[in-house]
Amino acid sequence: MMTRRVLKWAGLVGLAGIAGALGHHFGGNAHIRRKLGQPPLANATCFNCHFVSTRRLPWAQPRPHHDSPAGLAVTPDGKRILIALDDRNEVAEADTTSRQVLRRAKASGTPYGLAMDPAGKRLYVACKSADRVLVLDAMTLEEVGSVTVGMGPVAVAFCQTSAGDRLVVANSMSDDISIVGVSPLKELSRLSAGREPFAVAATANGTRAFVANRLVGLASVKSLPESELTVVDPVAARVVKRESLTSAHLSEGVNLVAGRSWALTPIVKVRNQVPITQVANGWVMSSGFAVLDLASDEIVQLPLDEANDYFSDPSMVVSDPQGLRAFVASGGSDVITVVALDRVASWLQCATPSAKADAIYDLTLSSEYVTKRVPTGRNPRHLALSPDGGRLFVAERLDDSILVVDTTSLIPLGRIVLGDGGLEDPIRRGERVFTSSAYTFQHQFSCRSCHPDGHVDGLSYDFDGDGIGDNLLDNRSLQGVAGTGPFKWNGKNPSLEIQCGPRFAKVLMRTEPFPDQQLHDLTTFIKSLPPPRAVRRADGNLSPAEERGRTIFFATRTADGKEIPVSSRCVTCHAPPLYTVRLPFNVGTKGSYDTTEAFDTPHLLGVADTAPYLHDGRAQTLEEIWTLYSTNDSHGVTSYMNKIQLNDLVEFLKTL
Amino acid sequence: MHNVRPCRGPGVLARLELPEFPSPRPSPAGRGSSRAQSSKPLVATVSQTIGRQSSLSLCERTGVRGTWRPRFRSAGALLSLGGSLIALLSSTYAATLPKDLPFPLVERFESFGIKDGFPTHKVHCVLPASDGKLWVGTWKGLMVREEGKFRKIGVEDGLSHQMIVCLVEDTRTGDLWIGTMRGLNRYSAGRITVFTQTSCGLPNNVIYGLEILGDTLWVATAAGLGAMDLKTGTWSIYDHNNTVMHEPWVYSVTGAKDRLFVGVWGGGILEYELSKAIFKEHRDPDRDFHFDLVPDDGPVSDVTSWVAWADGILWQGTYFGLARYDGSRWRTWQEKKSPLLSNFVNCIYARGRVAWVGTDRGLSVTDGATWVNYRSNENGEGLIEIARPGQPMETRKIKTRLPDDFVLGISVDDHEAWFATSDGLGHGFFPPSAKTVTAAAAKNSTEKDKP
Repeated sequence: MMTRRVLKWAGLVGLAGIAGALGHHFGGNAHIRRKLGQPPLANATCFNCHFVSTRRLPWAQPRPHHDSPAGLAVTPDGKRILIALDDRNEVAEADTTSRQVLRRAKASGTPYGLAMDPAGKRLYVACKSADRVLVLDAMTLEEVGSVTVGMGPVAVAFCQTSAGDRLVVANSMSDDISIVGVSPLKELSRLSAGREPFAVAATANGTRAFVANRLVGLASVKSLPESELTVVDPVAARVVKRESLTSAHLSEGVNLVAGRSWALTPIVKVRNQVPITQVANGWVMSSGFAVLDLASDEIVQLPLDEANDYFSDPSMVVSDPQGLRAFVASGGSDVITVVALDRVASWLQCATPSAKADAIYDLTLSSEYVTKRVPTGRNPRHLALSPDGGRLFVAERLDDSILVVDTTSLIPLGRIVLGDGGLEDPIRRGERVFTSSAYTFQHQFSCRSCHPDGHVDGLSYDFDGDGIGDNLLDNRSLQGVAGTGPFKWNGKNPSLEIQCGPRFAKVLMRTEPFPDQQLHDLTTFIKSLPPPRAVRRADGNLSPAEERGRTIFFATRTADGKEIPVSSRCVTCHAPPLYTVRLPFNVGTKGSYDTTEAFDTPHLLGVADTAPYLHDGRAQTLEEIWTLYSTNDSHGVTSYMNKIQLNDLVEFLKTL
Repeated sequence: MHNVRPCRGPGVLARLELPEFPSPRPSPAGRGSSRAQSSKPLVATVSQTIGRQSSLSLCERTGVRGTWRPRFRSAGALLSLGGSLIALLSSTYAATLPKDLPFPLVERFESFGIKDGFPTHKVHCVLPASDGKLWVGTWKGLMVREEGKFRKIGVEDGLSHQMIVCLVEDTRTGDLWIGTMRGLNRYSAGRITVFTQTSCGLPNNVIYGLEILGDTLWVATAAGLGAMDLKTGTWSIYDHNNTVMHEPWVYSVTGAKDRLFVGVWGGGILEYELSKAIFKEHRDPDRDFHFDLVPDDGPVSDVTSWVAWADGILWQGTYFGLARYDGSRWRTWQEKKSPLLSNFVNCIYARGRVAWVGTDRGLSVTDGATWVNYRSNENGEGLIEIARPGQPMETRKIKTRLPDDFVLGISVDDHEAWFATSDGLGHGFFPPSAKTVTAAAAKNSTEKDKP
């Protein structure tokens, strides 16, 4: 009796389950088809469109903050060093002899780059998220003024010019350079830079300033990438020269060599148009530095790497007051490379033009002038020298410390300890994995080499072995990527753990996979990255044009009242709050070498800062998605729009 | 520039018939618009004469260009004597340059063209930059003069199109903005960046005019007016959808401190008040674009080819005459009824209270009262005509002349003037002591100009 009853109920539950599953399958799929206007091209669940909230995403959660050192400035007497702590919104002051932190001062707005006047009275702080340069009294560290500059200032240089004191500010997000008069404190001019200006150096007499730009300029993905070294006249507040760095990018530092008419900037030499298999068979990217001879206007790119060992992510360079040695921080290899500049000069003097042109490809050449590799803590990024050149200060960003190196013996003297390194924090541990090249074949690159700060490098890479540069794929930002899986342009990796897992290691990094714990930490770090900062008005409201664009984005009918098919509405595929339903769609962009018509739908958070666009990076601007590459309304119905409406739509997208 | 503008109306048709004048150019008697003009204006002339009898100069009352012509015609016996006199004057021209004019005379011209490395004889625009370079937009690329030598920058260097239509410099940054027949270009420290209607918010690739006011670059295009915020890169478009603009062809744009004047081909002039973001329309009240039926009632015609502003004065060039607006009052001029060389105004350069007016028949310079014309005679010899208020027109031969009478672009400063013509670039020299007219210096002449 009991058995029969159990069987009866079990049967009923089973039937109900089957009915539910069938109902879900047919009813759910019908619902999805109705909502998408077409059958889904991949498995879809309720969670593609429902129960999505950005507030629950990892990047929206509170996270630990660390004492990560960024910009450094040493006082003229060499007794104190000022350290920007961007993650803390503070500036720290330390004694260079005792290596003790003396005090900390609040500096809101993500203080990143520092500069000090020659008298040591004023400290200028580039505040990245506040779009301003803060002026602190260098003795009291109290704020005495501030000036609004372009978006995302990350570096500032002070120069005394014939027309008065000037600041030259690199605005990384608005791709421009602010020329600021110091007295009175006022922005004099805003000059267009390359893409993502990231470092500044000025001559002592203020006649020239040099701005290193991190990303290559927007151009056809099949053309050679080219970044820019912008030469500025701070007096006239004008750009006087735009030097090209061919097939090179990620310049995060620039330095003027005393006694020589040279500007040095570290570079990553990249060959993105050869199949990624070259990691093992040669190289896809290598590290080096460019020497700009100001007298002859000649640029020579020289390698920092060795034939079978690479020193990835060169970020900053300084040179001693005698102009004899340069020090280059390799953030991915935890090394300071010491370069003998007189040997560089000798080589340049003897080298033929063709030898100079090919120098960067000869990885044995570095033995001519690299005299020492000084090991450091994790992720050395910013550097500073004492005024006499006797001590080198290295910001070990992921160790929360400043390494002090005797430049004569090249022996570390000790550390200025800012924090505990934060190893309890999986995000911090993950960032260490992310920025380290230890996991790549011959240490050629780190995750950061393609995703600086987790973002884009603006390049498209040939990931397939189908030829040379035939099938490029746009490099997508990792910022704001949490919750937007599946990943890859073909949507085949359901999670970041798989995306960054064994296959990735074999295919791309050509090494063993990340150990489980490190893989977990790595993905935790990536998920913690918030989306790129959007262009928003100060009051947080949309402008009239942006508001009109929002209406267009959510429109169900064209301007003349005709209904837009569900499958062709913006919001169908790019549904808020992530502005993606995380399903692949065919938007008519299949290239001649693509094996699929449908591509993963990218999220649109911070989309204004992620150019180029589409799966192969063919669209250099948001406008081009529709003006050039949406034939027959294949990427949403947009042909009804006039130019004003398209501009409005783009303006709205920039606010996401 | 103009021979490729959209074909709309007789003025443009006439242009298309004259793509490249030989130099010296024959008399334009065969030009379509001239034929139309010559067959009609008597009634208008009579009516305007009656209405403005007291205020018109002798020149205007006679309804022909310059009092000297009818007098010489009526005294035909003096014609041959006049020719001899002109020849005599030309030999002593420099010594007898009048010095009582309210603006400088060009005492000498020099020409640049294919012999100097220009890729074509057709020059559309000229701009002396603040760093001493001279930029010249031609039919086949951009020329820059550095240290006395011209160098070409073309499509092979990254320009979006070979035909350069207009230029403007952002004097704060030194960036040069280049309008072409296919896209906008920024030339900054040797690097060219292209902006097109497909890559950004630019309304249209055909660009007729450029102006920079504050942080905004204003772009006159064949499909409305574009405005790019130079700091944010944000574009705004003003056209028939959101303004009172009646036609899409924006041919010219000029800044006037707190406002902007927009010349619309077929739509008169739009005045845009920047602080209030309000457009106001100036249309020809008589609505006849061929004839100025009621002079001085507003813009001379709705077919605006150029607007220029300086010192509180707006000048309107049209294919049917010239107009001036001082903020409250309009004045209009047409050929034959004034010393204006031709109704067909290609361009205007306003400096102080003086307008340098480039036409298809030469150059007219005026402060509204005094006129000086530079043109060629049938023999290709340079002529200078001076018309003072109430006095007969004085004509002299000059040894040098404009490269061509078809003047497409002008730039003037205290010492020199540059002229883009259909047969090369002209360079005009002022006497060393000459100064162009400022507001204060022009006060007297303006007083004379009052009705």
